[in-house]
Amino acid sequence: MKESRLMLLQYSTAVLAVVLVAIHLVMQGIATPYSTAISYATILSIYRTWFYAIFLEALLVVVLVHGFNGVRIILHEWRQTAPWSRWVDLGTVVAIVATVAFGSRTVILAVFGGVAG
Amino acid sequence: MKELRLVVQKFDPFSDAAPRLVEYAVPRREGMTVLDALLYARDYVDHSIGLRFSCRQASCGSCGMKINGRPRLACYTQVDELGAEKVVAQPLDNFAIIKDLVTDLGSFFQRHREVTPRLVRDDAQEQDHPTGEYLMKPEELSRVLQFTYCIKCGLCTSSCPTVATDERFPGPQALAQAYRYTADVRDQGGAERMAELDGTHGIWRCHFAGSCSYVCPKGVDPALGIQLLKRHVMSGRPPHSKDDATKVWKPAEKQQ
Repeated sequence: MKESRLMLLQYSTAVLAVVLVAIHLVMQGIATPYSTAISYATILSIYRTWFYAIFLEALLVVVLVHGFNGVRIILHEWRQTAPWSRWVDLGTVVAIVATVAFGSRTVILAVFGGVAG
Repeated sequence: MKELRLVVQKFDPFSDAAPRLVEYAVPRREGMTVLDALLYARDYVDHSIGLRFSCRQASCGSCGMKINGRPRLACYTQVDELGAEKVVAQPLDNFAIIKDLVTDLGSFFQRHREVTPRLVRDDAQEQDHPTGEYLMKPEELSRVLQFTYCIKCGLCTSSCPTVATDERFPGPQALAQAYRYTADVRDQGGAERMAELDGTHGIWRCHFAGSCSYVCPKGVDPALGIQLLKRHVMSGRPPHSKDDATKVWKPAEKQQ
Protein backbone atom coordinates (compact mmCIF):
# COMPACT_ATOMS: atom_id res chain seq x y z
CA MET A 1 0.00 0.00 0.00
CA LYS A 2 1.22 3.50 -0.81
CA GLU A 3 2.48 5.53 2.12
CA SER A 4 -0.07 8.26 1.38
CA ARG A 5 -2.92 5.76 1.87
CA LEU A 6 -1.39 4.64 5.17
CA MET A 7 -1.05 8.24 6.31
CA LEU A 8 -4.66 8.92 5.31
CA LEU A 9 -5.60 5.91 7.45
CA GLN A 10 -3.48 7.33 10.29
CA TYR A 11 -5.13 10.76 10.14
CA SER A 12 -8.68 9.41 9.81
CA THR A 13 -8.24 6.92 12.68
CA ALA A 14 -6.85 9.77 14.81
CA VAL A 15 -10.00 11.84 14.25
CA LEU A 16 -12.24 8.82 14.77
CA ALA A 17 -10.39 7.86 17.95
CA VAL A 18 -10.94 11.32 19.44
CA VAL A 19 -14.68 11.12 18.67
CA LEU A 20 -15.12 7.53 19.88
CA VAL A 21 -13.08 8.01 23.07
CA ALA A 22 -15.05 11.16 23.85
CA ILE A 23 -18.34 9.27 23.46
CA HIS A 24 -16.93 6.43 25.54
CA LEU A 25 -15.97 8.80 28.36
CA VAL A 26 -19.38 10.47 28.27
CA MET A 27 -21.09 7.09 28.44
CA GLN A 28 -18.93 5.81 31.25
CA GLY A 29 -18.55 8.94 33.30
CA ILE A 30 -21.69 11.02 32.76
CA ALA A 31 -24.52 8.91 31.30
CA THR A 32 -23.75 6.18 33.81
CA PRO A 33 -22.36 7.23 37.22
CA TYR A 34 -18.71 6.22 37.36
CA SER A 35 -19.20 4.24 40.57
CA THR A 36 -21.54 1.80 38.82
CA ALA A 37 -20.04 2.09 35.31
CA ILE A 38 -17.28 -0.39 36.01
CA SER A 39 -19.32 -2.94 37.89
CA TYR A 40 -19.40 -6.42 36.35
CA ALA A 41 -23.14 -6.41 35.72
CA THR A 42 -23.13 -2.97 34.07
CA ILE A 43 -20.27 -3.84 31.78
CA LEU A 44 -21.86 -7.10 30.73
CA SER A 45 -25.14 -5.35 29.98
CA ILE A 46 -23.25 -2.82 27.86
CA TYR A 47 -21.60 -5.61 25.86
CA ARG A 48 -24.96 -7.27 25.31
CA THR A 49 -26.51 -4.18 23.78
CA TRP A 50 -25.87 -4.36 20.03
CA PHE A 51 -25.20 -0.65 19.65
CA TYR A 52 -22.58 -0.65 22.39
CA ALA A 53 -21.02 -3.89 21.16
CA ILE A 54 -20.52 -2.41 17.69
CA PHE A 55 -19.29 0.83 19.23
CA LEU A 56 -16.72 -0.96 21.40
CA GLU A 57 -15.55 -3.09 18.47
CA ALA A 58 -15.09 0.08 16.38
CA LEU A 59 -13.17 1.72 19.22
CA LEU A 60 -10.95 -1.35 19.50
CA VAL A 61 -10.13 -1.42 15.77
CA VAL A 62 -9.61 2.33 15.41
CA VAL A 63 -7.30 2.69 18.41
CA LEU A 64 -5.23 -0.39 17.59
CA VAL A 65 -4.79 0.51 13.91
CA HIS A 66 -3.79 4.06 14.82
CA GLY A 67 -1.44 2.95 17.59
CA PHE A 68 0.38 0.21 15.71
CA ASN A 69 0.61 2.26 12.51
CA GLY A 70 2.17 5.05 14.59
CA VAL A 71 4.71 2.62 16.04
CA ARG A 72 5.45 1.42 12.49
CA ILE A 73 6.26 5.00 11.45
CA ILE A 74 8.57 5.50 14.45
CA LEU A 75 10.37 2.22 13.76
CA HIS A 76 10.85 3.13 10.08
CA GLU A 77 12.48 6.39 11.15
CA TRP A 78 14.65 4.60 13.68
CA ARG A 79 16.40 2.33 11.17
CA GLN A 80 16.37 2.30 7.39
CA THR A 81 17.65 -1.06 6.19
CA ALA A 82 15.50 -3.05 3.76
CA PRO A 83 15.17 -6.17 5.99
CA TRP A 84 14.21 -3.97 8.94
CA SER A 85 11.52 -2.25 6.86
CA ARG A 86 10.07 -5.60 5.76
CA TRP A 87 9.96 -6.95 9.32
CA VAL A 88 8.41 -3.75 10.65
CA ASP A 89 5.63 -3.83 8.03
CA LEU A 90 4.98 -7.52 8.59
CA GLY A 91 5.11 -7.15 12.37
CA THR A 92 2.61 -4.29 12.25
CA VAL A 93 0.07 -6.33 10.31
CA VAL A 94 0.52 -9.33 12.62
CA ALA A 95 0.23 -7.16 15.74
CA ILE A 96 -2.96 -5.46 14.50
CA VAL A 97 -4.61 -8.73 13.45
CA ALA A 98 -3.65 -10.52 16.69
CA THR A 99 -4.76 -7.77 19.07
CA VAL A 100 -7.97 -7.02 17.17
CA ALA A 101 -8.76 -10.77 17.18
CA PHE A 102 -8.09 -11.03 20.92
CA GLY A 103 -10.18 -7.95 21.70
CA SER A 104 -12.97 -9.07 19.39
CA ARG A 105 -13.03 -12.41 21.17
CA THR A 106 -14.06 -10.64 24.38
CA VAL A 107 -16.82 -8.71 22.61
CA ILE A 108 -18.11 -11.80 20.79
CA LEU A 109 -18.10 -13.96 23.92
CA ALA A 110 -19.98 -11.31 25.87
CA VAL A 111 -22.53 -10.66 23.11
CA PHE A 112 -23.28 -14.33 22.47
CA GLY A 113 -23.41 -15.37 26.07
CA GLY A 114 -20.03 -17.00 26.40
CA VAL A 115 -19.54 -15.13 29.65
CA ALA A 116 -21.63 -15.96 32.73
CA GLY A 117 -24.13 -13.22 33.62
CA MET B 1 40.70 48.72 17.19
CA LYS B 2 38.30 46.30 18.85
CA GLU B 3 39.13 42.66 18.55
CA LEU B 4 36.75 39.87 17.65
CA ARG B 5 37.09 36.49 19.32
CA LEU B 6 36.68 34.04 16.48
CA VAL B 7 36.34 30.39 17.46
CA VAL B 8 36.71 27.80 14.71
CA GLN B 9 35.99 24.10 15.02
CA LYS B 10 39.00 22.28 13.57
CA PHE B 11 38.93 18.65 12.57
CA ASP B 12 40.82 16.60 10.02
CA PRO B 13 39.26 13.13 9.84
CA PHE B 14 42.58 11.69 8.61
CA SER B 15 44.68 12.88 11.53
CA ASP B 16 42.45 14.03 14.40
CA ALA B 17 40.62 11.82 16.86
CA ALA B 18 37.99 14.42 17.69
CA PRO B 19 37.01 17.99 16.73
CA ARG B 20 38.49 20.82 18.80
CA LEU B 21 37.69 24.51 19.12
CA VAL B 22 40.50 26.98 18.39
CA GLU B 23 40.18 30.67 19.21
CA TYR B 24 41.68 33.47 17.11
CA ALA B 25 41.86 37.21 17.72
CA VAL B 26 40.71 39.13 14.64
CA PRO B 27 40.61 42.94 14.23
CA ARG B 28 36.95 43.91 14.14
CA ARG B 29 35.67 46.51 11.67
CA GLU B 30 32.29 47.87 10.71
CA GLY B 31 30.44 45.80 8.13
CA MET B 32 32.69 42.82 8.64
CA THR B 33 31.12 39.49 7.70
CA VAL B 34 31.95 36.19 9.35
CA LEU B 35 33.60 35.16 6.08
CA ASP B 36 35.80 38.27 6.24
CA ALA B 37 36.84 37.29 9.77
CA LEU B 38 37.56 33.71 8.76
CA LEU B 39 39.61 34.81 5.75
CA TYR B 40 41.61 37.21 7.95
CA ALA B 41 42.31 34.38 10.41
CA ARG B 42 43.32 32.06 7.60
CA ASP B 43 45.50 34.62 5.80
CA TYR B 44 47.27 36.14 8.81
CA VAL B 45 46.98 33.74 11.76
CA ASP B 46 46.47 30.10 10.80
CA HIS B 47 46.89 29.03 7.18
CA SER B 48 45.52 25.58 7.94
CA ILE B 49 41.89 26.65 8.49
CA GLY B 50 39.77 24.77 5.98
CA LEU B 51 36.78 26.67 4.58
CA ARG B 52 34.89 26.83 1.30
CA PHE B 53 33.62 30.02 -0.32
CA SER B 54 33.24 31.56 -3.73
CA CYS B 55 30.91 34.45 -4.64
CA ARG B 56 30.87 36.39 -1.33
CA GLN B 57 27.33 37.63 -2.12
CA ALA B 58 24.99 34.80 -1.03
CA SER B 59 24.57 33.52 -4.56
CA CYS B 60 26.66 30.37 -4.70
CA GLY B 61 25.83 28.75 -1.34
CA SER B 62 29.39 27.56 -0.78
CA CYS B 63 30.10 29.09 2.62
CA GLY B 64 27.26 27.47 4.59
CA MET B 65 28.30 26.74 8.16
CA LYS B 66 26.96 26.79 11.70
CA ILE B 67 27.57 30.24 13.16
CA ASN B 68 26.83 30.64 16.86
CA GLY B 69 24.77 27.47 16.72
CA ARG B 70 22.60 28.31 13.71
CA PRO B 71 23.18 27.34 10.06
CA ARG B 72 23.99 30.50 8.08
CA LEU B 73 26.00 31.70 5.10
CA ALA B 74 29.27 33.18 6.37
CA CYS B 75 29.33 35.78 3.59
CA TYR B 76 25.77 36.89 4.38
CA THR B 77 26.18 37.19 8.15
CA GLN B 78 27.67 40.35 9.55
CA VAL B 79 29.52 40.05 12.83
CA ASP B 80 27.59 43.00 14.27
CA GLU B 81 24.19 41.43 13.59
CA LEU B 82 25.12 38.47 15.80
CA GLY B 83 25.31 40.79 18.80
CA ALA B 84 27.97 38.68 20.48
CA GLU B 85 31.58 39.24 21.50
CA LYS B 86 32.50 35.79 20.32
CA VAL B 87 31.72 34.17 16.98
CA VAL B 88 31.79 30.37 16.87
CA ALA B 89 32.06 28.80 13.42
CA GLN B 90 31.36 25.09 13.08
CA PRO B 91 30.65 22.79 10.12
CA LEU B 92 27.04 22.11 9.10
CA ASP B 93 25.26 19.28 10.89
CA ASN B 94 23.97 16.23 8.99
CA PHE B 95 26.99 16.20 6.64
CA ALA B 96 30.32 14.41 6.87
CA ILE B 97 33.27 16.71 7.58
CA ILE B 98 36.00 16.88 4.93
CA LYS B 99 38.12 19.30 6.93
CA ASP B 100 37.32 21.94 9.54
CA LEU B 101 34.36 23.93 8.11
CA VAL B 102 34.21 22.10 4.80
CA THR B 103 31.49 19.44 4.60
CA ASP B 104 30.79 16.77 2.02
CA LEU B 105 27.67 17.81 0.09
CA GLY B 106 27.80 14.79 -2.24
CA SER B 107 24.76 13.04 -0.71
CA PHE B 108 22.89 16.36 -0.72
CA PHE B 109 23.35 16.87 -4.45
CA GLN B 110 22.54 13.20 -5.07
CA ARG B 111 19.19 13.61 -3.30
CA HIS B 112 18.57 16.71 -5.38
CA ARG B 113 19.25 14.78 -8.62
CA GLU B 114 16.93 11.94 -7.55
CA VAL B 115 13.80 14.15 -7.65
CA THR B 116 14.41 14.93 -11.34
CA PRO B 117 14.92 18.67 -10.83
CA ARG B 118 14.15 19.74 -14.38
CA LEU B 119 11.14 20.20 -16.63
CA VAL B 120 10.07 16.83 -18.01
CA ARG B 121 8.19 16.98 -21.31
CA ASP B 122 6.86 14.54 -23.84
CA ASP B 123 7.52 16.73 -26.86
CA ALA B 124 11.18 15.88 -27.45
CA GLN B 125 10.89 16.93 -31.08
CA GLU B 126 9.82 20.45 -30.05
CA GLN B 127 12.69 20.73 -27.60
CA ASP B 128 15.24 19.58 -30.16
CA HIS B 129 13.82 21.84 -32.87
CA PRO B 130 11.85 24.62 -31.12
CA THR B 131 9.10 26.34 -33.05
CA GLY B 132 7.87 28.58 -30.22
CA GLU B 133 7.96 29.18 -26.45
CA TYR B 134 6.44 27.64 -23.34
CA LEU B 135 4.68 30.57 -21.72
CA MET B 136 3.50 30.93 -18.12
CA LYS B 137 0.87 33.25 -16.72
CA PRO B 138 1.99 35.48 -13.82
CA GLU B 139 -0.22 33.59 -11.35
CA GLU B 140 1.28 30.30 -12.51
CA LEU B 141 4.76 31.68 -12.02
CA SER B 142 3.91 32.95 -8.54
CA ARG B 143 3.13 29.38 -7.41
CA VAL B 144 6.73 28.32 -7.91
CA LEU B 145 8.75 31.52 -7.97
CA GLN B 146 10.07 31.49 -4.40
CA PHE B 147 11.32 27.92 -4.81
CA THR B 148 13.43 28.93 -7.80
CA TYR B 149 15.51 31.12 -5.46
CA CYS B 150 17.13 28.04 -3.87
CA ILE B 151 20.94 28.25 -4.12
CA LYS B 152 21.53 24.69 -2.83
CA CYS B 153 23.60 25.81 0.14
CA GLY B 154 22.42 22.90 2.29
CA LEU B 155 21.41 24.97 5.33
CA CYS B 156 17.85 23.60 5.32
CA THR B 157 19.04 20.01 5.12
CA SER B 158 21.55 20.68 7.87
CA SER B 159 18.81 21.92 10.21
CA CYS B 160 16.28 19.16 9.43
CA PRO B 161 15.65 16.79 12.36
CA THR B 162 14.37 14.05 10.06
CA VAL B 163 17.51 14.11 7.91
CA ALA B 164 19.48 13.69 11.15
CA THR B 165 17.81 10.35 11.84
CA ASP B 166 16.63 9.01 8.48
CA GLU B 167 19.40 8.72 5.93
CA ARG B 168 16.92 7.81 3.17
CA PHE B 169 14.78 10.92 3.63
CA PRO B 170 15.34 13.23 0.61
CA GLY B 171 15.50 16.35 2.78
CA PRO B 172 13.75 19.72 2.53
CA GLN B 173 15.80 21.07 -0.36
CA ALA B 174 15.11 18.12 -2.66
CA LEU B 175 11.43 17.96 -1.71
CA ALA B 176 10.92 21.69 -2.21
CA GLN B 177 12.51 21.37 -5.63
CA ALA B 178 10.26 18.41 -6.39
CA TYR B 179 7.32 20.71 -5.71
CA ARG B 180 8.89 23.53 -7.69
CA TYR B 181 9.02 21.42 -10.87
CA THR B 182 5.82 19.45 -10.29
CA ALA B 183 3.80 22.66 -9.82
CA ASP B 184 5.34 24.24 -12.91
CA VAL B 185 2.70 24.26 -15.67
CA ARG B 186 5.37 23.56 -18.27
CA ASP B 187 6.21 20.24 -16.58
CA GLN B 188 4.68 16.87 -17.45
CA GLY B 189 6.60 14.63 -15.07
CA GLY B 190 4.62 15.24 -11.87
CA ALA B 191 2.99 11.81 -11.59
CA GLU B 192 6.31 9.97 -11.94
CA ARG B 193 8.02 12.33 -9.49
CA MET B 194 5.26 11.95 -6.89
CA ALA B 195 5.23 8.15 -7.23
CA GLU B 196 8.89 8.18 -6.19
CA LEU B 197 8.26 10.43 -3.22
CA ASP B 198 5.22 8.56 -1.90
CA GLY B 199 7.31 5.88 -0.19
CA THR B 200 8.15 4.85 3.36
CA HIS B 201 11.01 7.36 3.54
CA GLY B 202 9.48 10.01 1.30
CA ILE B 203 7.54 13.20 2.02
CA TRP B 204 5.49 11.70 4.86
CA ARG B 205 8.52 11.56 7.12
CA CYS B 206 8.51 15.38 7.26
CA HIS B 207 7.05 16.34 10.66
CA PHE B 208 6.82 20.02 9.78
CA ALA B 209 9.38 21.23 12.32
CA GLY B 210 9.85 24.23 10.04
CA SER B 211 13.53 24.68 10.82
CA CYS B 212 14.34 24.46 7.09
CA SER B 213 12.30 27.57 6.39
CA TYR B 214 13.68 29.31 9.47
CA VAL B 215 17.31 29.04 8.36
CA CYS B 216 16.96 29.58 4.58
CA PRO B 217 19.10 32.60 3.68
CA LYS B 218 17.12 33.27 0.50
CA GLY B 219 13.67 33.41 2.10
CA VAL B 220 12.50 30.17 0.52
CA ASP B 221 9.89 28.22 2.52
CA PRO B 222 10.75 24.55 1.89
CA ALA B 223 8.33 23.42 4.62
CA LEU B 224 5.48 25.02 2.67
CA GLY B 225 6.59 23.27 -0.52
CA ILE B 226 6.58 19.92 1.27
CA GLN B 227 3.08 20.45 2.70
CA LEU B 228 1.78 21.45 -0.76
CA LEU B 229 3.41 18.36 -2.20
CA LYS B 230 1.73 16.23 0.50
CA ARG B 231 -1.64 17.70 -0.49
CA HIS B 232 -1.14 16.79 -4.10
CA VAL B 233 0.13 13.29 -3.31
CA MET B 234 -2.80 12.67 -0.94
CA SER B 235 -5.29 13.75 -3.57
CA GLY B 236 -3.57 11.51 -6.11
CA ARG B 237 -3.32 14.34 -8.60
CA PRO B 238 -0.35 16.51 -9.56
CA PRO B 239 -0.92 20.29 -9.36
CA HIS B 240 -1.81 20.14 -13.01
CA SER B 241 -2.34 17.26 -15.40
CA LYS B 242 -0.17 16.36 -18.34
CA ASP B 243 -2.92 17.66 -20.63
CA ASP B 244 -2.93 20.99 -18.80
CA ALA B 245 0.79 21.49 -19.39
CA THR B 246 1.63 24.63 -21.30
CA LYS B 247 1.34 24.25 -25.03
CA VAL B 248 3.94 25.65 -27.34
CA TRP B 249 3.14 29.24 -28.28
CA LYS B 250 4.24 30.17 -31.75
CA PRO B 251 5.59 33.70 -32.17
CA ALA B 252 2.63 34.57 -34.43
CA GLU B 253 0.07 33.49 -31.77
CA LYS B 254 1.89 35.47 -29.12
CA GLN B 255 1.46 38.72 -31.01
CA GLN B 256 -2.34 38.30 -31.34
